[in-house]
Amino acid sequence: MTERTIPLTNITDDLPCDSAVEVCTPGEGKPESGITRRKFVKNTSGMSAASLLGTAALMTNSDDAHATSEWAEWFQGNYRLMSDEEKQEAVDRLERRYSAEYGKDVTVDTTPAQEGVLFGYALNIQKCIGCRRCVKACVEENNQSRGEAQETEWIRVLKMEKGEFSEAKMGEGYPDDYGIQVGGNAYTAAGVVIEGEHYYEPEKVPEEDSFYMPIACMQCEKPPCVKVCPVRTTYREPDGIVVIDYNWCIGCRMCIGACPYWARRFNWGEPNLPKDQMNPVTHYLGNRPRMKGVVEKCTFCIQRTRKGRYPACVEVCPVGARKFGNLLDPESEVRRVLASKRVFRMKADMNTYPKFFYYVD
Amino acid sequence: MKPIISFCTDYVLYLFKGGIKYWAWLGFLSIFVVLWAYGNYAQLTQGMIITGLTDQVSWGLYLANFVFLVGVAAGAVTVVFPAYVYKHKALHEVTVLGEMLAIAAVVMCGLFILNHMGRPDRLWHLIPIIGIYNFPSSMLTWDIIVLMGYLLLNVFGGFYYLYKKYTGEPLNNKFYLPIIYVAIVWALSIHTVTAFFMNTMPARPMWHHGMMPIRFISTAFAAGPALIIIVFSIVRNNTKLWIKDEAIDMLSTTVVWCLGIALFLTFSEIVTEFYHPTEHSLGLQYLMFGHNGLNNLVPWFWTSLVGLVATFILLLIPSVRKNRALLPWICAVTFLSVWVEKGMGLMLPGSIPTPIGEFAQYSPTMLEIFNCIGNWAIGFIILTLLTKAGVGVLVGDLRYEGAATTQEAENEEEAGYASA
Amino acid sequence: MRVLDTGIRRSTSACLRVIRCGVLVLGLTTAATSVAQDCFESRQNASKVTVKESADGQVNVKCSETTGGVLWWGDPYDATVPMGEMPIEADYDHGEAVVKSRTKQLAMFPVCGTACHNGTFPPPNDDKTPRTLTMHTDVVPDATNLQHGRGAIWCLDCHHSETRNHFTDHSGNLIDMNEPQKLCGKCHGPAYRDWRGGLHGKRIGEWASTGKKRWFVCTECHNPHDVQQGERNSGFAQLESEPAPRLPKGLENADHERHHGGH
Repeated sequence: MTERTIPLTNITDDLPCDSAVEVCTPGEGKPESGITRRKFVKNTSGMSAASLLGTAALMTNSDDAHATSEWAEWFQGNYRLMSDEEKQEAVDRLERRYSAEYGKDVTVDTTPAQEGVLFGYALNIQKCIGCRRCVKACVEENNQSRGEAQETEWIRVLKMEKGEFSEAKMGEGYPDDYGIQVGGNAYTAAGVVIEGEHYYEPEKVPEEDSFYMPIACMQCEKPPCVKVCPVRTTYREPDGIVVIDYNWCIGCRMCIGACPYWARRFNWGEPNLPKDQMNPVTHYLGNRPRMKGVVEKCTFCIQRTRKGRYPACVEVCPVGARKFGNLLDPESEVRRVLASKRVFRMKADMNTYPKFFYYVD
Repeated sequence: MKPIISFCTDYVLYLFKGGIKYWAWLGFLSIFVVLWAYGNYAQLTQGMIITGLTDQVSWGLYLANFVFLVGVAAGAVTVVFPAYVYKHKALHEVTVLGEMLAIAAVVMCGLFILNHMGRPDRLWHLIPIIGIYNFPSSMLTWDIIVLMGYLLLNVFGGFYYLYKKYTGEPLNNKFYLPIIYVAIVWALSIHTVTAFFMNTMPARPMWHHGMMPIRFISTAFAAGPALIIIVFSIVRNNTKLWIKDEAIDMLSTTVVWCLGIALFLTFSEIVTEFYHPTEHSLGLQYLMFGHNGLNNLVPWFWTSLVGLVATFILLLIPSVRKNRALLPWICAVTFLSVWVEKGMGLMLPGSIPTPIGEFAQYSPTMLEIFNCIGNWAIGFIILTLLTKAGVGVLVGDLRYEGAATTQEAENEEEAGYASA
Repeated sequence: MRVLDTGIRRSTSACLRVIRCGVLVLGLTTAATSVAQDCFESRQNASKVTVKESADGQVNVKCSETTGGVLWWGDPYDATVPMGEMPIEADYDHGEAVVKSRTKQLAMFPVCGTACHNGTFPPPNDDKTPRTLTMHTDVVPDATNLQHGRGAIWCLDCHHSETRNHFTDHSGNLIDMNEPQKLCGKCHGPAYRDWRGGLHGKRIGEWASTGKKRWFVCTECHNPHDVQQGERNSGFAQLESEPAPRLPKGLENADHERHHGGH
């Protein structure tokens, strides 16, 4: 695997990779440039149930690599409860399957949260021009389904009206017998989030009469989605990112019901991810390809941010409205926003304590 | 052991004895099971993309039916409660039929939940020890517990009763009565918890109010006994079991009062939401009046409201309530109206608009409808079989060879019941 | 004198020097247009980036097919130079900082200080009274109505009158054209302060406050010659937006959200 050119902290590279009994699926050649970094330490005593079953399926069944790994994946436990060995095994299996499916070297990272890091995000609502580049950058990065049958986007940008107050509407108040109680300009939707437009498509943005409000997962400190999950497949990581173990999700969509920000999406069918558009640098809890019937959402680009890189939406924003960093570091951009700007959290009344802040200059 | 084996074999064999109407009815239901099999095959292979659900409206027909059927299951308590708490004799004789209905309804609930799940193959993740059961945090885990518990209580209570009737032995009230009383409270809990799993989500203001559980229960206790009245009428007209008028009168009284309470609660909610409507009223507004031309639900709401008000008024009139020919039809209207009100009428506006204000429309696909009707058909097949065998035991068609006469057993059981 | 980002499409022949200059401009413009796939970063027509594929199939950037804007950075430090040569005076202990050279994006820059403006000819003129320009009308179409400063400033308040390939500070000292922030900061104090603190403007690369970042400088986002945008009165030019999301099943159009009625 060719590492990205950026010199970033790479925790997984320190994993012990000395001895290796590599289980290779027959009929599936090991990708040339190799996922050798992923060779997992394995001694006979450490064989997990999943690997045994996977191997059993392999021996009894066929040489269909895809079916074999899916079978083993089916038996695999909840990610958080896996031992390091089991994680390595699961990752190895996934890398083999993805690499074969997408015809390129796919890495599945498992970098854990760094100590002393709590991720936070700030968005300058005064600067946002509503160009939706963040929406598309997110799709480029995070391997969402695309195309007509199922288009998944994690960010939604609302166009908000600046509103219009007119003298002409003065006469529209009611009732008027003993003086108007509801003013004629009452229904001007200036700054009303719930009346935002989702499907705006002007020739150019920003439009004169509008401002814009992007919404995605708020990575709540008190996430209602985590609370309602019956199998704890969605949970809060130590660095504050709310993640989903896609292999553990039962697809009940309680979390979709519980999210006040409409930040979660469901894979209604098998996601459509063209090979040439697939981003091969993935994280187990982030942008690795999903399967049908499971929920997904923004992870602050965990595969990037855990390696030190900004999320894709932060980098792509042409106006620099998006700020990201460590909430525990007073020198971070996000902390400087909190220190010097006026911020608000969306739907603060929900008591969810988002780590996503909106601010104005 | 021998009587148990004999009970099982006799029970199963009895299900094969039936007239032309019986087989025609089962045959009719089986047609829908074929469609169900097709629909489920499609959903299992292609995923839920075959439904009309979207990220905007991700809880739809499946969950709506689930919620309604939990109510029907709980509604069985309208037979058990008067029978054992108010010593209602006529209802006491047929209590077991109420329990059979509860079993069928809970099975249907399970089928709808399986359809609602994106990954039914991973159900085992819920099993403690090998999986993770997020109890007590997740309200869904509470719902699973109460529903499974309710199923078990009714299976044990119901079949224990039938078995004892079958063998002619007296009931062991020390074993049986606790099950009954626990089941009564448990019935309330299943619908309460089902309401809680929806109304504990502040993200969905349409549901987020404390009136939900009592609304759920009042509508359940209208729809449940309405269905039981229909079943009882069919049993009366088609079997040797003559369910007494007092039993049906008691149930129709329950229906009318619960309908009244339900309508009052609906009225209170409308006044609260519309006196000074807020953003939180948008769901109800969409349901009642639509939104800028999106008005899929509007006709459903008003039809259901008219149905509820009309049947309420009709059932208030004693002569109508006692009209045995008319009553099942009125009950059918009540049942369907509650189904609309509580199913689609409550489930969908919770998602429309979405928490960030997007209005969407949901219409179930044909395959989704196949699966729903199929679930109902399976439920009705189960209900038919359970009721048939239950009636068979009650009238003495299904009896253990060495059993005391029906009359003797009944007397013994009466004695125990009176002393309890 | 700031020379064009995109190339001059016409030249006037007021004097010999101007003709010579124009010929040079045309020549350079043609040379600069033979590229494969280009897209822009923040400022359309002024922050061009060319897609390059490395040996392992990775690209430096991915571009939007609909708008031609950069959608994704494979290599955030592509074509950058250390900012060390031009200190950013950040108010905190920032990590390694790199920038993209502005002057490399200016086609005329290499010759402008010698061929057209050599410091003695045309004679340096410190007169700041707005007047019609014969050259550079592609950059400033109407120099009597400069879209920056509302009449309070003019060309030579920013461009050094003698050394035209530099800017000028308040005291007439030179400012490198790769450090427009020092020039803009002369007037835009709060924005400059926020930029130094990482709040105004854009950085890509590593999120840590001590991480390596590519800093975007003022003119990578703002067009200094048209910062007012006439009626718009806004510092950032309008862009084409990426397409709207697909409508969910059950909706034929989004007309329902186009008119509001209150509730």
